[in-house]
Amino acid sequence: MRKYFVLVSIVLATVVIAYITTYLRALGPIGLDTRYLAKLFLMLTYNPVYRELTAMSPEAVTSIVWDFRGVDTLYETVVFYMAIIAALTIYRGVSYSSIWGGYGLSLIVRVVTKLLIPINIAIAVSIAAHGHLTPGGGFQAGAVLAVVSVLLAVTYSASSFIKLGVSLSKAVALRSAGLLAIALVVFTPIVFSALTGVQTYIMQNYVKIDSSFSFPTHVWNQLISGTLIWLNLAEFLAVSFGFFIIFMLLSLREEVVREQIGEKDEH
Amino acid sequence: MSTSFLENFFITLILYNLLVAAGISIYGVVARPSITKKIISLTILQDTFNILAIFLGFKVFSIPPVLLELDSDIEKLLAFTTSAVDPLPQALVLTAIVIGLAVNLFLIFLALQVFRLYRTLDSRKIKELKG
Amino acid sequence: MDFSLVLLALFSTIGLIFTYLAVIEKDLVKAVIFSAIQSTSYVAVLYLLRAPDIVLVYLPVTVGLYPAALLFLVGKTERVEEE
Repeated sequence: MRKYFVLVSIVLATVVIAYITTYLRALGPIGLDTRYLAKLFLMLTYNPVYRELTAMSPEAVTSIVWDFRGVDTLYETVVFYMAIIAALTIYRGVSYSSIWGGYGLSLIVRVVTKLLIPINIAIAVSIAAHGHLTPGGGFQAGAVLAVVSVLLAVTYSASSFIKLGVSLSKAVALRSAGLLAIALVVFTPIVFSALTGVQTYIMQNYVKIDSSFSFPTHVWNQLISGTLIWLNLAEFLAVSFGFFIIFMLLSLREEVVREQIGEKDEH
Repeated sequence: MSTSFLENFFITLILYNLLVAAGISIYGVVARPSITKKIISLTILQDTFNILAIFLGFKVFSIPPVLLELDSDIEKLLAFTTSAVDPLPQALVLTAIVIGLAVNLFLIFLALQVFRLYRTLDSRKIKELKG
Repeated sequence: MDFSLVLLALFSTIGLIFTYLAVIEKDLVKAVIFSAIQSTSYVAVLYLLRAPDIVLVYLPVTVGLYPAALLFLVGKTERVEEE
């Protein structure tokens, strides 16, 4: 009961201190207005008038992530890639194809999961493909698709990945393909510059003041926002298969891993 | 325009709730013996600080930073600019969550490796063991 | 009066309560479940802070993936935290 006494006193103390702070007006005016920088980003996120400055996407967060501060996100993707390489290093020497899995959960759970997985994949693809129009994007879609790997590992067993044809090397290849697609989009302006002699910048999206290079904003009258849709789809591939690798490794049974890594039990 | 006393009180209470939750999870990271509990507390700490970052861009009576109509009407664009919340912290937190997840999963793999070598996840016992 | 502030205060208080319960709990499986409930209340907080993008990434990550990975860890190692 001491636990709940401490809990109630923490909550009450927080409320009382908040009341005293408000009464003394100690924090000043808060929650009234946003900064000038925020107004600038909101003004320029979809603005057909200032074509040299805008990202031409109605979704302010995606346009900051992949256009205004795109190089930040590029390096963060590399950090993400390296973290999963580090996790793979701990499991070096484990061959995934030799495992024999269990039976999974009961029939009812398995049938319901079988119905849920296609819905989950459809939602993930739609979040990635509409990332420049509605809330969503590559990171969100990748996290949603990663739930599929958890469902597979828990309801069926670790061997279900092999039955579906998803091996570790295939997953590594697919996420490397995602990273390569991002690199391709980033270096396209440079290749264009080398071929034609027009001045361009790395990771450029639209025309700038001193550069006439631009990706198309519309295809067949549909807004695709230049590089944003391609970067979202590539990031979706990289993030989702990165998490597939992690949960494939985590779902391996411990005895199998110990046997294959070859650690002694004397410790 | 200014906020009323009650609105001020609620905003302050949200801020203090997040700060106290961050304090409790720092206690969990530092003082709890189990490495699993340290990882759980670390995820909660990351969550609270991410929400504090988003809270910096919040204002009352606002809309999400998503433009709903695609026309070049400057009046509508100005109205959107003055009524939406700050999108910059949201964009930074978005990448922080995904990278935090990858790094935490790496920590989970390290904890598994520690258990394989030492047969325990109690940090006090690990300190006494050698080799 | 912005009514969402009331709900924000309510959900952040629920998040605080379950943070405390998750940190103090000895049984690690229960701690993971308390942490998932805390995450659910923070999803509501993020939605009310007008951040739909973060809700979409935060919901699968902290309600789906973190508990799954932590339960795998607890299942392969030890379940009770000794005092």
